[in-house]
Amino acid sequence: LEPSIFFDEVNERQGVFHRRALLLGGFAGLGLTALAGRLAELQLAETQRYKLLSNSNQFNYRLQPPPRGRILDRNGVEIASNRPDFRLLVLRDQVADVDQTLERVSELTPMTDDRRRALKREIAQTPRFAPVAIANDLSWDEFSRINVRTPELPGVQAQMGEVRFYPFGGAFAHVIGYVSKISAEELKKAGPNPEPLLLHPGFRIGKQGVEKALDIDLRGRPGANKVEVDAVGRVVREDPAGDVAAKAGKDVVLTLDADIQNRALEVFGEESGAAVMMDIRTGDLLCLSSAPSFDANRFVTGVQPADYRALAQYERKPLLDKALSGLYPPGSTFKTMTALAALEAGIDPNATVSCGGGMFFGGRVFHCWRHGGHGPQTMHDAIKNSCDVYFYQRALQIGPDRIAAVAKAFGLGQTFDIGVSGQKAGIVPSTQWKKQYYKKSPANQKWFPGESLSYGIGQGALQVNALQLCVMTARLANAKKALHPRLIKSVGGVERPPGNIGEDLPFPVEHIELVRAGMQAVANDVTGTAYRNSQMNLGPIMMAGKTGSAQVRSFDRVKSRKNTGLPWALKDHALFVAFAPADDPRIAVSVMVENGESGSGVAAPVVRQVMDAWLLDENGRLKPEFAPATVTQESPL
Amino acid sequence: MNNFDRMLSSEDVMRRRASFLQRIHVDGPLLVILLTLAAGSLFVLYSASGKNWDLLLKQATSFGIGLVSMFVIAQLEPRFMARWVPLAYLAGVLLLVVVDVMGHNAMGATRWINIPGVIRFQPSEFMKIIMPATIAWYLSKRTLPPHLKHVAISLVLIGVPFILIVRQPDLGTALLILASGAFVLFMGGLRWRWIISVLTAAVPVAVAMWFFVMHDYQKQRVLTFLDPESDPLGTGWNIIQSKAAIGSGGVFGKGWLLGTQSHLDFLPESHTDFIIAVLGEEFGLVGICLLLIVYLLLIGRGLMITAQAQTLFGKLLAGSLTMTFFVYVFVNIGMVSGLLPVVGVPLPFISYGGTSLVTLLSAFGVLMSIHTHRKWIAQV
Repeated sequence: LEPSIFFDEVNERQGVFHRRALLLGGFAGLGLTALAGRLAELQLAETQRYKLLSNSNQFNYRLQPPPRGRILDRNGVEIASNRPDFRLLVLRDQVADVDQTLERVSELTPMTDDRRRALKREIAQTPRFAPVAIANDLSWDEFSRINVRTPELPGVQAQMGEVRFYPFGGAFAHVIGYVSKISAEELKKAGPNPEPLLLHPGFRIGKQGVEKALDIDLRGRPGANKVEVDAVGRVVREDPAGDVAAKAGKDVVLTLDADIQNRALEVFGEESGAAVMMDIRTGDLLCLSSAPSFDANRFVTGVQPADYRALAQYERKPLLDKALSGLYPPGSTFKTMTALAALEAGIDPNATVSCGGGMFFGGRVFHCWRHGGHGPQTMHDAIKNSCDVYFYQRALQIGPDRIAAVAKAFGLGQTFDIGVSGQKAGIVPSTQWKKQYYKKSPANQKWFPGESLSYGIGQGALQVNALQLCVMTARLANAKKALHPRLIKSVGGVERPPGNIGEDLPFPVEHIELVRAGMQAVANDVTGTAYRNSQMNLGPIMMAGKTGSAQVRSFDRVKSRKNTGLPWALKDHALFVAFAPADDPRIAVSVMVENGESGSGVAAPVVRQVMDAWLLDENGRLKPEFAPATVTQESPL
Repeated sequence: MNNFDRMLSSEDVMRRRASFLQRIHVDGPLLVILLTLAAGSLFVLYSASGKNWDLLLKQATSFGIGLVSMFVIAQLEPRFMARWVPLAYLAGVLLLVVVDVMGHNAMGATRWINIPGVIRFQPSEFMKIIMPATIAWYLSKRTLPPHLKHVAISLVLIGVPFILIVRQPDLGTALLILASGAFVLFMGGLRWRWIISVLTAAVPVAVAMWFFVMHDYQKQRVLTFLDPESDPLGTGWNIIQSKAAIGSGGVFGKGWLLGTQSHLDFLPESHTDFIIAVLGEEFGLVGICLLLIVYLLLIGRGLMITAQAQTLFGKLLAGSLTMTFFVYVFVNIGMVSGLLPVVGVPLPFISYGGTSLVTLLSAFGVLMSIHTHRKWIAQV
């Protein structure tokens, strides 16, 4: 039986083996089925999700900054536009060795050691994913040379972008400001997740003036270029069909006139000061100029520290907008206000004050600018001759509060909503102002009558800016409306309200006309203080104005009011306010020449030339709309 | 008709004579399947490697070498193999010790024996065949089902190379070798009681391994497996990208050479361990199912050979090799599709890599030998 047992055992063994082999076969079949099931799950049930993931891997959107809105003058002349800029970007997360990359780039486009150090610092401080511009404003030659070599420079990208351009350089620098790289503080203000546009190396943010005030409007909406990228972010292919177009920023139209604005800066030359011109019917500002100026284009690409220091330290303060934030005593131009206040107080304009060259008051002599005096003066005479004694007398009679009321009604001592920041209100003194001002020292709160004297001729604590003086003149010229200045005509085609829709002036027109007649005489009466420099030689078109010189030195303590031999910084400020044509006013101008010494000698010629820019065409002839309606001699009758 | 008659029927005689392949000890179905896989592999590899002809040529060469090796091994009689297995095992362990002592570094692991200019190979690869052969040889001489003593000795035989390979460290290969030995034990009739107790004991052992044996990168792989999104840019990257590749392929795929995941380098190791993701992305579910069917045919043929093997040694070895091949496929596809942790196991026949190819083809050479050296006598 042995063999049979043996066979049984063999059969038994065979049986176990085959069962186990079958089990394993089943196990393998099950395993493969499970795999097929798993893959079917991925490829059928979840395929949409993974297609998305794969697409988002494959495609990337490269931010495309929008073209910044242009800034135009009233006639559509571009005063801020964009020009193409070839630049080189470095993408930090794709650069293995920043030093080496900069080294190799500097072989292609020269780079100073300072610049390289600054770049290294900048690259280190920028978030990893944000590109950094390492070279701007490359020439086409340089750009194409580097563009060809970029495959050897991983992480370096040659890009064509746009950069802000100010075709008039400095003429509008103070009004429209400039754009520049976003600062760390500005970025912080944008919150923890700033718009990606803000981090784009080509992005510039408005830093001053219109560029700053209307930054959001001018900025536009960024677009995106759809590109195919590989795992390390290299662009493999562009996909223009998937691009999202950038939306350009809105165009901003200003009320300014580029010709006049340019002429104003030109006329100032080396002088320092401000010129403001206003349309007295609409309130539109035609000129808002501050001199000397600076080239705003240099701030766009990043001004060199040394250049900036030179600008900041220059005595004539080119960075300061003197038209809005430069405060000066208005000097004799303020006599128009004192005169009106006197009329309001019921003083007869024909009543005379005798000027003997000075007035004794409070234990000392208040001099008239004319040493010998003017003799008896009516109000008209006093304005024409700018007689100080007349206005000392009147100011003393009516007191400071009446003067202040008129000055405020004419726009002095206040800021206007012209759409840009940076205006300084200045001071229009009154008894109440003095109480307020000396809140902490009651002894000084009392208004001394002596202060009224200097107030009457536009000195003392009184401080105004050139814009306010222009508004004052415009309101005098308009005689009815309390005009408001308008700087921004329209934003993105939407008109801003004009300046002539406000309230009326609370003064009788006859009173204002008396003052205007005085100003007419200043410019056109042969004995007027500005006669010689106010002649426009344009036939019937004449201007009316008022000169002024504001003392820089303490008015009370000087022995002589002569400026000869004084250093520049101590000379009087020269002022002139005017409107034209005198008989049917259209424009008002105020000009202030810092330390210019003489209102009639220095400021009036500036006014005249600025007005010429408004009145004349490029051939020096009167523009047709101003030509007097005369009958030609060849007339058949 | 009894077996004897059948044996002598003219039909059978005719067939045996006509079978040239059998005379040169090559199994026709296996050869067809393997050549199909080889062709498919080169096709996918061309895309996965980014149209790299050099790499393709190398892989084709490896295929050639593997086929030669397969052919040579198929000529050896199983009995001859059984005789030399103990010696091969000792040599293999010795080489593993050499690697352990003075091996060369590759990928932070010491796996290679390198005699510059002569040869450079991984001893652990050859253990993949020697291991099951050793246990099959050992058990085929004992009574089955095996006694505890023989099981214990088998475990020692498996354990020595396993530990040496874990120390390299190459957990993936070590586990495959462990599995190949375990399959032999299982088919030998290992008692279910013992299997269950070992599996129960495995849990505390796994915990101990985690704390005392596993390297950080291995632990990381396990953690990543459990939650790939936890580290999407680090260790989870591979799995997320491979799933995206496979999933985005959909039913029909994106087309040959059009897979964005692999061609834009999002998919790591796209021509080696993760090549199935390229297949899935470019050929979709259809392509993957075709491959799985070919694999199923291969495994089926292997199991058929196992069933028809005439010696115990042949049965155990053929079964173990086939099942190990299945484990290969399962672990690789399971890993790439996110079912299993990431272990460095190539996809058999498809992934780029010469050593693995030669080993696999050699293993199928063993199967062919077992199948074609059968004695044409009736089963008793």
